[in-house]
Amino acid sequence: MEFRETVDALATADDLVTIDERIDDPTLPFAVAAESARSNGPAVLLSDVPGEGSLACGVRGGPDRMLRRARLPWYRYAVGMGLPADTSYGRMLDVLTTPPADRPSLRRRAAAASGHDRDVTSLCLPVAGEDDRQLVSDGILAVEAGDRQLWAPVRGEVRGRSTLRVHVPASVAKRAPENAPVSVALGVPTAALLAAHLSSAQTQPWRRWSAPEVAAALDDVPLAPCAGGLLPASAEVVVDGTLTRAAGSATVPRAAWEDVANSEPFAVAVDRVASRSDPVLPLAPLGEPLGDDTHLTSLVEGARLSARVNGYWGVSPVSWIGLPVEAGLGVCFVASEILYAGFEWQLANTLFSFGPTFDKVVVLDTDATFENLASALDDMWVKAHPSHDWIFSEAAAPAATAPSYRADGQTGSRLYVDAAWDPRWDEEFIAPEVEFELMYPEEIRETVAERWHALGFDGTETSEERDE
Amino acid sequence: MSDDGDGIASEPSLRAYLDTLDEAGDLVRVTDEVSWDLEASAIAMRAGERDAQIPLFESVARSGVPGARLVGDPYRGSQRRPWDRIATALGLPADTDGATYYDAMLERLTDPVEPTTVASTPDAAPCKEVVHVGDDVDLLSFPWPYIHSGDGGRYSNLHTLVAPDPDSEWVDWSTHRAMVHDDRQASVLLLAGEQTPNLFYYKYERRDEPMPVAIVVGTEPAVQCTSVMWIPTGSDEARYAGGLRRAPVELVQCETNDLYVPANAELVVEGHLVPDKRLDEGPFGDYFGYMHGPRRSMPALEVDAVTHRESPIIPFCVEGTGVGYTENTTSSMEAGCVGPDATLGLRAAGFDVIRCVPWQFTPRTAYVVATETNDPGALHELANFIFTTWGMLHIDFFIFVDASVDPFDTREVLEAIALHADPDADFHQFGTETMPKVPLNIYQTPDEKGDAQTGTSKAKTAKAYIDATGSAAARPDVVSADSRDRARELLATAGVVAEEGE
Repeated sequence: MEFRETVDALATADDLVTIDERIDDPTLPFAVAAESARSNGPAVLLSDVPGEGSLACGVRGGPDRMLRRARLPWYRYAVGMGLPADTSYGRMLDVLTTPPADRPSLRRRAAAASGHDRDVTSLCLPVAGEDDRQLVSDGILAVEAGDRQLWAPVRGEVRGRSTLRVHVPASVAKRAPENAPVSVALGVPTAALLAAHLSSAQTQPWRRWSAPEVAAALDDVPLAPCAGGLLPASAEVVVDGTLTRAAGSATVPRAAWEDVANSEPFAVAVDRVASRSDPVLPLAPLGEPLGDDTHLTSLVEGARLSARVNGYWGVSPVSWIGLPVEAGLGVCFVASEILYAGFEWQLANTLFSFGPTFDKVVVLDTDATFENLASALDDMWVKAHPSHDWIFSEAAAPAATAPSYRADGQTGSRLYVDAAWDPRWDEEFIAPEVEFELMYPEEIRETVAERWHALGFDGTETSEERDE
Repeated sequence: MSDDGDGIASEPSLRAYLDTLDEAGDLVRVTDEVSWDLEASAIAMRAGERDAQIPLFESVARSGVPGARLVGDPYRGSQRRPWDRIATALGLPADTDGATYYDAMLERLTDPVEPTTVASTPDAAPCKEVVHVGDDVDLLSFPWPYIHSGDGGRYSNLHTLVAPDPDSEWVDWSTHRAMVHDDRQASVLLLAGEQTPNLFYYKYERRDEPMPVAIVVGTEPAVQCTSVMWIPTGSDEARYAGGLRRAPVELVQCETNDLYVPANAELVVEGHLVPDKRLDEGPFGDYFGYMHGPRRSMPALEVDAVTHRESPIIPFCVEGTGVGYTENTTSSMEAGCVGPDATLGLRAAGFDVIRCVPWQFTPRTAYVVATETNDPGALHELANFIFTTWGMLHIDFFIFVDASVDPFDTREVLEAIALHADPDADFHQFGTETMPKVPLNIYQTPDEKGDAQTGTSKAKTAKAYIDATGSAAARPDVVSADSRDRARELLATAGVVAEEGE
């Protein structure tokens, strides 16, 4: 699904508001994106902003799970890939970790963007703060290394009329030839952005796939040629140029994915800026709670860790692994069968080894779901013994990247909370949960459900709907 | 319940409060016959799960008392504002944010009002409309609900237990559930470490004296609110209930003992706890969301009299549902009553506390304290104080956050724990297995819980606090306050409404 089609789909689903009011304050679009994300608001299309095009804020964001909501955090990703709006987390992980049996052929078509301008500043790219440069918050970089097409997520800024300074994962940076032709695409399909992340992170099982192949496996993503090789044909803006290694870093806020992958700065000397008619540019509120970049990294890390851990011991006991966006990627939740006493220690420490962003793991039973984060956050307090099941490592572990402390890399402790039933316990020690299905005989449950509206109740299943 | 315009409830009774809900379309009068045996509870649970109206069951099958009714979780708030129905009950605005609600509660709690007494006549004291004494008492004639499959029996679990200190004029109001055994007996869950249980176990029982008590069912809202609070020893909750309703609570003397009880209650069970006599209590679906077991021995209540209003209304809580996304009376009262009271108590003890707020998804287990200080010694002292007083038995965790973190916003608190609480330096356990714990937990084995005669687990446990302060310094604002304000205005203009606490 094209980026602008995703914008339309969100609008159709009442999850995007359009603001046509003229906005001259260059900092206001970023603030709008940040505020809407923080307050669990919709995506926002700002149609009248300085520069060419309009800004779509939070198209890859989403709400938190602090209320029982109609929509889940990854809902906009599902929409962006043409999946059902109520796609479960497990299904999302399946999609991101299960390649088709046959590699899809790459479909080509003419690029939607055209033009030969060289002035990047003419685009409606926002600024985060008053003294900041124009921000590139959501896009992919294409460059060819030998016969390999590389895509990488980018975060960067505009430096003068014809220069970009972008950060890309080191895994791509080290393979990109100096002075290579390169392209940066803005407003790409969600599948292409995910493919860039999965590919640059060398995530299993995609390790031997090129990024365009991954994108094609996730969704129908036609490609078009560009200076850097191939990019999604539907990209709203394509900036072609030449890559050189940059001496300094961009000054704009870091993206969450940079907590997973070391990033390196590139300068792109711009030769051409092509854009679609009335381009729609994405704006992700980098560094802000519930930002698009945090959502994206949560999904990719969940998929990467799931693919890595399941099968690691020859069996696949893990139901799901999730890094809640609500916790800024600083905690990892895992639901798993506890194969034997001590398995929870193995599991937590395996995750610590593979996941750099967090130093806290919560181990849950397999009946827990990532959708019901409230229940997981209840189990953390009530199922885990405050002394026996809150396990701290010795203070020699490397610092995690998401937390604010020990940013100097000083070693310290890790913590895992064992909120799963102890496999050594007798069955009768296991307390039944107080829930409708378990507490009442089927006859009563059915009668209550059948009579519900006749009795006069009008409650809905989500708190949001009640407020509306 | 009407409001005289000054936030004073003019008809202070449970039924007046329910009428207020009814007028607002927030009550469903279930006129179809419903059984007290799981059915009423099932409807109330479903209503809670769906954030629906409060169910009042007007026709209860197999009730021996004409017109006796049940109401399920009458103080259950909404998931977004757990305090909203309590606010309605007290004549406060229901649609305010948490900080404004807390401020209003604190203002009332700091201005207590002495109770008054009324004559023991039905006109003055509606709870005397029907009086049964001695052999005339038939506890099982009332439609006490059987709440969860697997419960040890039928319960009264939303009431005020009135009990006196034998050595002073102090009378304690508290909430301790009672499991009905027969026409004249019930077992009462008393956990040593709490005020009324301590009076019984360490004064009355040691002196081999019965403890006179009254279980007051269906009190006016202000009385129910203060009953769940930890009002300091020696202070009568009645004064604080008067403060909450800004008018004296009317009390009337019991028929068979010297205790005074709220005159407008729906039902009063008078009796005495018998020293060295125990009856089975539990299992029961408990506040943390699980059935806990095993069945244990708890003090025996022998009933001397029951008085009640005509067509009494018996409130109950579907305990165990107030976890995760669902509210019930316990979780809402934790947020709406215990939190403000705890805030007041900590401030009164000299601690620099902005607000003390229960963790939204888990009542009575974890609390969030927003504070101006991040001095490690001050936080330790604060945790130490709490764990040795009201936080001793049930609460296992305190989370300290900066003043800039909204303690009502669980996402902000979770983020503070994840990003600002260093496992190396900011998680503080108070020893390993050195502290008391009630057996109402699921992380101890039955052997560890044991069957201690005073109701605490045989095995001790640990408690912990998490220093999640440091958010403000760690993440400098990218967006200026001015830009945020203008963004909010623009979003509001577009119809985007900021969520609570934003």
